[in-house]
Amino acid sequence: MTRWAMVADLRRCVGCQTCTAACKHANGTPPGVQWRRVLDMETGHYPDVRRAFVPVGCMHCDAPPCRDVCPSTATRKRADGIVTIDYDLCIGCSYCAVACPYQARHKTDRASFAYGGGPSPAEAARFDEGRLAVATKCTFCVDRIDAGLEKGLTPGIDPEATPACVTSCIAGALHFGDVEDPASNVSRLLAENRHFRMHEELGTGPGFYYLWD
Amino acid sequence: MTGAAATAKQVATYCYQCVAGPDLLTVRVEDGVALAVEPNFCAAAVHPGAGRVCVKAYGLVQKTYNPHRVLSPMKRTNAKKGRDEEPGFVPISWDEAFDLIAEKLNGIRASGLLDASGYPKVAASFGGGGTPQSYMGTFPAYLAAWGPVDMGFGSGQGVKCYHSEHLYGELWHRAFTVSPDTPSCRYIISLGSNTEASGGVVGVKRHADARIRGLKRVQVEPHLSVTGACSAEWVPIRPKTDAAFLYAVIHVLLHETPRASLDLAFLKGRTASPYLVGAHGYYLRDPASAKPLVWDRVLDRPVPYDTAGAEPALEGSFTAPAIERGADGERLGDGALAGTTAFSRLVAHMSSYTPEWAAEICDVPAATMRRVANEFIAQACVGQTVEIDGMVLPFRPVAITLGKTVNNGWGGYECCWARTVAVSLVGALEVPGGTLGTTVRLNRPMSDRIGSVTPGVDGFMAYPFNPTDREHWSPRPNIRNAYRTLVPLAANGPWSQALGPTHLAWMFLDGTPEGLPAVTFPEIWFVYRTNPAISFWDTAALAEKMSRFPFIVAFAYTRDETNHMADILLPECTDLEGLQLIRIGGTKYVEQFWDEEGFALRQPVVAARGETRDFTDIATELAQRTGLLESYNSAINRGAAGLPLKTERYDFSIDVAKPHSRDEIWDAACRAASAEVTDGAASDGLDWYRTHGFRTRPFTRTDWYLYPALARQGLRFELPYQERLYRVGQELGRRLHERGMTWWDSQLSEYQALPAWKDFPGLWEKAVVAMGARAQDFPFWLVTARSMQYAWGANVGIELIHEVAANVAGHGGVVINGDTAAGLGIAEGDLVEIRTPRRATRGRAVLRQGIRPDTLLMVGQFDHWATPYARDFDVPSMNALVPLSLELTDATGSGADLVRVGLARVGARR
Amino acid sequence: MDRIAPWLQTNWDHRAAGNFIGGGTGSGLAIFAAASELAGGNPPRAAYVLAALFIVAGLSLVWLEIGRPWRFLHVFFNPQTSWMTREALIAPPLLIALAAAAWHGGAALAAVAALLALAFVYCQARMLRGSMGIPAWREPLIVPLALATGLAEGAGVLLALAIVAGAAPSRFVLILALLSLVARWIAWAAYCRHLARRGAPTATRQALQAIDLQVLVLGTIAPIALIAAALGFADYAGPIALAAGVLGLAAGWLIKDTILTRAAFNQGFAVPHLARLGAVGSDSSTRPGWS
Ligand SMILES: Nc1nc2c(c(=O)[nH]1)N[C@H]1C(S)=C(S)[C@@H](COP(=O)(O)OP(=O)(O)OC[C@H]3O[C@@H](n4cnc5c(=O)[nH]c(N)nc54)[C@H](O)[C@@H]3O)O[C@H]1N2
Ligand SMILES: Nc1nc2c(c(=O)[nH]1)N[C@H]1C(S)=C(S)[C@@H](COP(=O)(O)OP(=O)(O)OC[C@H]3O[C@@H](n4cnc5c(=O)[nH]c(N)nc54)[C@H](O)[C@@H]3O)O[C@H]1N2
Ligand code: SF4
Ligand code: SF4
Ligand code: SF4
Ligand code: SF4
Ligand code: SF4
Ligand SMILES: [Mo]
Repeated sequence: MTRWAMVADLRRCVGCQTCTAACKHANGTPPGVQWRRVLDMETGHYPDVRRAFVPVGCMHCDAPPCRDVCPSTATRKRADGIVTIDYDLCIGCSYCAVACPYQARHKTDRASFAYGGGPSPAEAARFDEGRLAVATKCTFCVDRIDAGLEKGLTPGIDPEATPACVTSCIAGALHFGDVEDPASNVSRLLAENRHFRMHEELGTGPGFYYLWD
Repeated sequence: MTGAAATAKQVATYCYQCVAGPDLLTVRVEDGVALAVEPNFCAAAVHPGAGRVCVKAYGLVQKTYNPHRVLSPMKRTNAKKGRDEEPGFVPISWDEAFDLIAEKLNGIRASGLLDASGYPKVAASFGGGGTPQSYMGTFPAYLAAWGPVDMGFGSGQGVKCYHSEHLYGELWHRAFTVSPDTPSCRYIISLGSNTEASGGVVGVKRHADARIRGLKRVQVEPHLSVTGACSAEWVPIRPKTDAAFLYAVIHVLLHETPRASLDLAFLKGRTASPYLVGAHGYYLRDPASAKPLVWDRVLDRPVPYDTAGAEPALEGSFTAPAIERGADGERLGDGALAGTTAFSRLVAHMSSYTPEWAAEICDVPAATMRRVANEFIAQACVGQTVEIDGMVLPFRPVAITLGKTVNNGWGGYECCWARTVAVSLVGALEVPGGTLGTTVRLNRPMSDRIGSVTPGVDGFMAYPFNPTDREHWSPRPNIRNAYRTLVPLAANGPWSQALGPTHLAWMFLDGTPEGLPAVTFPEIWFVYRTNPAISFWDTAALAEKMSRFPFIVAFAYTRDETNHMADILLPECTDLEGLQLIRIGGTKYVEQFWDEEGFALRQPVVAARGETRDFTDIATELAQRTGLLESYNSAINRGAAGLPLKTERYDFSIDVAKPHSRDEIWDAACRAASAEVTDGAASDGLDWYRTHGFRTRPFTRTDWYLYPALARQGLRFELPYQERLYRVGQELGRRLHERGMTWWDSQLSEYQALPAWKDFPGLWEKAVVAMGARAQDFPFWLVTARSMQYAWGANVGIELIHEVAANVAGHGGVVINGDTAAGLGIAEGDLVEIRTPRRATRGRAVLRQGIRPDTLLMVGQFDHWATPYARDFDVPSMNALVPLSLELTDATGSGADLVRVGLARVGARR
Repeated sequence: MDRIAPWLQTNWDHRAAGNFIGGGTGSGLAIFAAASELAGGNPPRAAYVLAALFIVAGLSLVWLEIGRPWRFLHVFFNPQTSWMTREALIAPPLLIALAAAAWHGGAALAAVAALLALAFVYCQARMLRGSMGIPAWREPLIVPLALATGLAEGAGVLLALAIVAGAAPSRFVLILALLSLVARWIAWAAYCRHLARRGAPTATRQALQAIDLQVLVLGTIAPIALIAAALGFADYAGPIALAAGVLGLAAGWLIKDTILTRAAFNQGFAVPHLARLGAVGSDSSTRPGWS
């Protein structure tokens, strides 16, 4: 069995937002919609202060509350762990958005472009009416993965078959791979480092791990 | 997602939007439209950043299609200039634009290139630390063909930049920029070097790898920057007191740790530590050879420093038959003279600079400084070696880095000196793991740092000081900022003009001080990729001065605050539209030192938008219309396009008699590049680079380090004692005073052989008083910091950048310590006013705990009022507040990006 | 705003709140009307019509909120796990039953309508509980609270209706209403206590705190006192009951509107271990907006 997962190394991340921008390029998301986002968190009191950068987005949960609540079955979970949205089934009720404890879901009702007014040639080429008024979120770049697998490539290793945010990360903080395969890059990282998953207590079983030591 | 497009391709190019580049990328193009930026995976093996580009590069698609672009040449119709004057730009044809410019230029050629004051009538300013050169095609060839051009009207780069490091760094270790040997370093003391925001792709990648490897970085700076966040420790130091911190570290090294823990062999053999210093502060010299003397322990007598087999004494005082020579060759002593080793002088000099002393000044516990100093020695691995490419070298994995504001303005010299001395005490200078210089700009050849190491006086590397002797020093500057007259260290190469005291050119326009020819307005000013009206100091005053320039030609991507004053706007092909070949790899800016070197092509990813023209074609056209075609072409042949087209190994030179198209010129450059990279084996031209993007050959790591080159030539680092600088300062003072020029006297005080701590922060408080106000009314330090998402103000007009930058704290306004704010009744988002006695600005309060209570931070450089999109941000900039000031100008001619301010709440959150 | 500490969810606005208000009140009303009918009383037929109107109003508000209203039929695709589908499936038979009960009358039809109505509020309650992203909603005790307040609201409307219909409410109805108010207070108090114990965003707890007193005094004690009075002074029962009903109803709507909007802060983000980076000293964590 295969279980695709993301691993973010908090020791490496510098909050540069390159992954955020790379995702927007790869997936043509409209202004303000960030499927990948990196938080700038501060804790403590001067002078004992810590600041940390934390990549977030859809965690592709094992037990995704977004799927369970979805009345239209637009949200589904694949055997390989990727949680998908069928834009043609989605009724845009946003129930999934309130069910997601990771604030990973977005809905844009009207077409919007970077500089107001009309689309730039690039925006016009990327525009997809089908993504309006429906739920959207990080897809784990499922198209890249499937196309890559067809070509016999290994997601997480071959750039072409790997999520855009991962291949763009200038600090090498983001990793992607199959956690069911003990020999995979991500399995090794998880075996060699201390890690956690966000909001573990909610039992969603995120497919997104954070390395911290 | 986009469906299958008729034509889809991945085009390779480079990004050099900030000085931390260049880096390599590809752009996905479908049906002629640029859709997405992606890394250049083919470059992963050669590029230290794994072929990836940073967030700024992802702004290039929007940059290309930015609806606010200037897409045709424009002519100003409103003769009146000023911030409040609408320029009334109207579109004109390229032909008309060239006519207007050529008319002026030809007029100047007819009437003489210099004006009555002897200054060039043509001036040109380019910004961002030299990055525009990677976008201006063959324009440098045109300037070379033209003759004298004043490139000394500053735009922040230089005097606001790494200025002291640029100048002193090149003197001491060919270090225009300094970097840790990050790939093998283990311990870094970073005084405000904001690497994780400013170090680019390569810096970020290498430091991330190093952290995993266990590198410990101590980030010393007033606010908890992005870099502090990624460091083992944050030490919140009081601004402008870094020299005291470093002095305390040196004190611990010299007075609290056994000598044996220092690298004595390095000090004796590779520095001037053993040189004997006489009573007047100059080296004792061998009467016969005039070479500096050392005390030989073997023969127990003085010998010239370069005597074979000598065992120089590192410490002690000795009497020796010698001469002591001062400024202008003055004989200060002759006969049996008492001398003390430079090292002993240093030890004595640092004795009072204890951590306890520094604690008061820096507001950092003495224990912290002591611990950091001891960790530094412990990690230095004194005595260990490592073999690299068959060469055994010292291994000293410790480094000290200095950020902007630490290494410019008053205190910059002391910080650079202390940093370089501190690392040399453990032998961690220019060796594996240690503190390295990575590029040269004042020494030559610029493309070969190691090759720039040549023997000079007294066993040190040669350095092209501007002359200060009676015969050669000139009171008649070649350009308006008078770098040759005032700043011997600035040298006199192609970069020297921009590295002079570039704000003086602006200041002197309204009053030239005693002894200099009256500073005049240039008859034509070319501006490209720089926005002094936003990026420099006292921006309101600067904009006003610009408005009085008679004729400004601005290469314009969008309207901005500087080209608001322009007479002609010329839209050039920008990043994804133009074509140019540049050098990559080897050792370049800051962290950019590679295991490969070669060339990369920037090529049209999409068709040029509107009427925009490639910079090379613009330059060629100008050359033709001003009768300079032949010298322009020869300049290209000589190497103005990045490399010579003709050497003894190859000849791809172009026919100088006729004009050449962009592609002809760059095809020749590409062939030359292929030949250089393959030692003449290949001669592939433009088409090859269009498909492959870049071409490199291996670059040996041993060339990352200067140490081998010095050892080969038996040279020493000119440390710790600065006899030469002291002499130069003395001579400069005499020259100036001989002309009755006393207004540079405070700057002269910087020329000390062993710099003493001076009350640097106090200078900024004095400046407040000098403006006729009370220091206590301006109790805060206002500082600035880089943003990884922004390249200065160059990409402020790009929505994507603005959107993602909002995820990082501080971009929305002025960062204030939460408790300080509470004390002043300021809540998150409140409108606050930040004042100096002269100017005021307003912004939104951003409350954080990660900043000193006495410090305010304004990230980046915003406050735009003309640049479309950015003018709606209403985010303040320190540049509105920092004065243009001679008092705050140091001896190298730089100032610093900080200022004393008052703070008050003026309104509620939006 | 930095959007790291929990922020108010904006996916569902007052329109969604309206559905829970309409659905709850309507169902409660239907149940009470049926109950009194079964107990031999004869509640105004208008009660069933009104109940249906409340429910329809609520549903059409949701319909207005969804992004692709013309795909509303897809709402029926996931009865396996989605309480929204289940709510939607029950709505049509419920409305038919209510219509029939109103038209035809009779205990049997009323009983059917009441059972469907009960199922309907239950679905709504489970919908909230299923919203794992909103701590104030996912709290299990929201289910009894939603049911209890639905009943209390229905009771309120019925008391009010009685006087419209010119008849004073029967003792039976009065007593049921009183019990529903008590039940709601217990459910509300338990909900708040349990939520606080299990942990919730600070802002959520503040928003609930802010209405606690009103719910107790105006929404519970006052109507109970009035009902007691109504039981005592039969002659004035009508107007007194009306006042009690309005208070009970208003309190219910206040509770729902608060939970669905002002207290609906999302989970936010948390980091149980910050990166070490070679720092000496203890392991630190952060969870902004929770205390
Ligand atoms: N507050 C503050 N001020 C600072 C600094 C700071 O840290 N804080 N840093 C200082 C330092 S170190 C430096 S080096 C300087 C740099 O300052 P500058 O060298 O002046 O650089 P920018 O301000 O980025 O100006 C770049 C200009 O080029 C324009 N531009 C961008 N792309 C193109 C293009 O493709 N074609 C054309 N024709 N124009 C283009 C932009 O619109 C912008 O107006 O700033 C200094 N100023
Ligand atoms: N992303 C990006 N990268 C860049 C650039 C860019 O515009 N964008 N510009 C390039 C250029 S031209 C330059 S010059 C470099 C600048 O590179 P850096 O010097 O690393 O950049 P800054 O962040 O401007 O300044 C560094 C830090 O100095 C601290 N500081 C201010 N005053 C003091 C002080 O008195 N003492 C101490 N210890 N710290 C102080 C501030 O807190 C700030 O965090 O960046 C280069 N790289
Ligand atoms: S690109 Fe990598 S380093 Fe930058 S913010 Fe994203 S994860 Fe962090
Ligand atoms: S993170 Fe949210 S959207 Fe993604 S699978 Fe989990 S619950 Fe669903
Ligand atoms: S918005 Fe779409 S995906 Fe989300 S729950 Fe409703 S139908 Fe399902
Ligand atoms: S995996 Fe793909 S879709 Fe998800 S954040 Fe990364 S780039 Fe975006
Ligand atoms: S660091 Fe970023 S902006 Fe600077 S040159 Fe590299 S890719 Fe371009
Ligand atoms: Mo700079």
